[in-house]
Amino acid sequence: MNENCTQLWQRLSAALKPQVSADTFKRWFSAVELIDATDNSLTFRVPNNIYQFWIESNHMAALQAAIVTAFGGPREVRFSSPPGTLVQVAEDAAALKEVASDSPRDTKSVGSALGLNPRNTFESFVVGPNNEIAHAASLAVAQLPARTYNPLFIYGGVGLGKTHLMQAIGQYVWAKKKGAKVMYLSSELFINEFIDAIQHSNLVKFRKRYRQADLLLIDDIQFLGGKERSQEEFFHTFNTLFDGHKQIVLSSDRPASEIANLEKRLVSRFEWGLTAELQPPDIETRMAILRKKARTMQIKLRDDVFEFLANRIRTNVRRLEGALMRVASFASLSGKELTQEVVEHLLKDILQEEARHSVTIEQIQRRVAEHFDVRLADMTSKRRPANIAFPRQVAMYLARELTKASLNEIGDAFGGRDHGTVLHACKLVKKRMHEQDSLRQTISFIDSSLQR
Amino acid sequence: MKFSVTKEKLLEGLQQVQNVVSTRTTLPILSNVLLQANGNEVHLTTTDLDVGVRGSFEAQVEKEGATTLPARRLFNIIRELPSSEIQFDVDGKNTASIRSGQSFFKILGLPEEEFPPLPKFEGAKVVTIRQKDLRDGLRKTSYAISTDETRYVLNGVLFSFKENKLTLVATDGRRLAMLDIELEFPRSHEADIIVPTKAVTELQRLLAEDGEVKVSMGSGQIAFDLNNTLLVSKLIEGNYPNYKQVIPSEAKERVTLERETFLNSLRRVSLLASDKSNSIKLNFSKNNIEITANTPEVGEAKESLPVAYKGRDLSIAFNPEFLMAPLRNLIEDEVFLDLIDEMSPGVLKIQTPFLYVLMPMRISA
Repeated sequence: MNENCTQLWQRLSAALKPQVSADTFKRWFSAVELIDATDNSLTFRVPNNIYQFWIESNHMAALQAAIVTAFGGPREVRFSSPPGTLVQVAEDAAALKEVASDSPRDTKSVGSALGLNPRNTFESFVVGPNNEIAHAASLAVAQLPARTYNPLFIYGGVGLGKTHLMQAIGQYVWAKKKGAKVMYLSSELFINEFIDAIQHSNLVKFRKRYRQADLLLIDDIQFLGGKERSQEEFFHTFNTLFDGHKQIVLSSDRPASEIANLEKRLVSRFEWGLTAELQPPDIETRMAILRKKARTMQIKLRDDVFEFLANRIRTNVRRLEGALMRVASFASLSGKELTQEVVEHLLKDILQEEARHSVTIEQIQRRVAEHFDVRLADMTSKRRPANIAFPRQVAMYLARELTKASLNEIGDAFGGRDHGTVLHACKLVKKRMHEQDSLRQTISFIDSSLQR
Repeated sequence: MKFSVTKEKLLEGLQQVQNVVSTRTTLPILSNVLLQANGNEVHLTTTDLDVGVRGSFEAQVEKEGATTLPARRLFNIIRELPSSEIQFDVDGKNTASIRSGQSFFKILGLPEEEFPPLPKFEGAKVVTIRQKDLRDGLRKTSYAISTDETRYVLNGVLFSFKENKLTLVATDGRRLAMLDIELEFPRSHEADIIVPTKAVTELQRLLAEDGEVKVSMGSGQIAFDLNNTLLVSKLIEGNYPNYKQVIPSEAKERVTLERETFLNSLRRVSLLASDKSNSIKLNFSKNNIEITANTPEVGEAKESLPVAYKGRDLSIAFNPEFLMAPLRNLIEDEVFLDLIDEMSPGVLKIQTPFLYVLMPMRISA
């Protein structure tokens, strides 16, 4: 509590005491601190949220009356609780990461000032067939903002690098273009800011801030779904920026058309520029990621450890890096030789989690049956008309590709067929996929829906 | 799946589970009830993903199986059926044929695989409570739950398991109800959890006079196992406010009141409390309380209530609804009202560990 606030609080207490009973004052107000005072608002720190709830519900009239007596006019009253209790949304939102265009451009401070992680650059991004397009598009956007793809819409699952690419664009533009105003934030922050602006009726300031950006990066845009007014506000921001030839980059965990309760006009705008998908990395890319990460962290591991990690952790790059970190720190702390058993033991929980997400034969059968509109029972039945046999073969092929089950196990799961049948099915499907694009698409669609 | 059952049993079974059925239309499967026939029982399950209920009824099962059917529609049909014998036959495409007397209905269902399974509670902490205790406890506290969604931690009842006691707390910032239930459980089971309003409401409907309820606490989830019915719910995340801060430490005056007499007087007088200020005034004097209410341009009401009161003269105003709510939900004949002064909260108590803190309204003029 600074001196000024202390004095103000004394004046306010003096005015408040006659308004409430002595017990009330002692119980509720003696623990309150005035931490910020401006001409139109007062912020009080309270020990926990019961103070806020109770004062707001019961003593607000008395408090306001005291404020008028002490300061000659009403003030807006805010409360702040220490972390761990309820914190007002409005105050969170104030922490927006915005950059004034004239602050010093020293690259080290870029990250923190923008709210960007300095490690997330194009250099540190491992490119593989799974993310080639997204990477190329991001680079193009970073080099020539608003010229090539506007907006750029990046989507993909958890931990596949959406945020990394967005932040890389932000830092690239920031470093290369003097005076560019870069804004990076999550859509949740946008919504909170907007709510705050409505509450304190300073929408004009809010709009100005966003509509002056040269590059607007919004992460996790799917959270806009169902927030009608925020969507409307964002729609106008989008149009202003787009018409002013400013670059917009959005990321989401699903395609724009699949975001629930997102207005059509926004969906169509999101699909206007380029949509780039990030897919889970293949084994080679995972190896490359691990090696690159190991190099930057300056750790040395045996090749078979890399292989083991890349093989067992398939879905999520973040998890892959976490596993590497854990293995590396164990190695450096204990100095023990890392064998496969040790690694397996170390990563027990991660591997279990990973296994939980792995696909079972039953899921494959169900999804394939659903896709081809045959009954689940047909997957295991002895009947063999072409319209049933072929989906069954597709399911066997997928089971071979996506699970660790042996040919025999797969055969058993499909109504006790022998391994030769399964092998034949795999070969046949593979051959047909070569010949027919449509089949390849169908299978990759089923595959990706199973991985989700 | 094929079974026959009496109308009464089926209706009773559906009534237990149908309140949970989701009103959200985004996931059609959530407006369905899952029926699973095995042995001589049919299990019924409904969920809205926050709260789920599983019950069962006896039936003559001819062919085991499972399907899901639209819950409200099914309930409406069963209720109107003319005869007490009902035959249920569900084919492989989840189409249910219902026969009863001269009536025949065919309703289209969805496959059971689409129905979200209820969470599992393996390795959860389990505490056993007498159903009657929990039912009374919730009845005496749950009316004080906040409906203000911005204070989401208050949108439920706090279950605080501490020192061989379960403390139930509900508050909305103007009043607070609290009750203790004596229980035995290991130290390791101590926990503070917030059970959301919907689960509390459903639980109150399911709890009976006899028997016990097994409470399993998992991470972020809770299950109440009432012998043949199971209720599971997500918990409200967050810290419940430190409610002890609200409870006044000492009382200056105490008055003993006959609950029903007091409630009836309040109810009569409150007819003349205006919607706007909505306050009712209690004027305490020697061996008497005068209860008054007045609304400008409408009129006024006054009623005297002889009581044993020896304290100083005192006037205090309360929101009549907030004062009547606990009186309606308590079952004791006698209640105690503790007061400090006009501006300090009143506390309603009974012989057993319960208290209700109520903030007074400001008396204007």
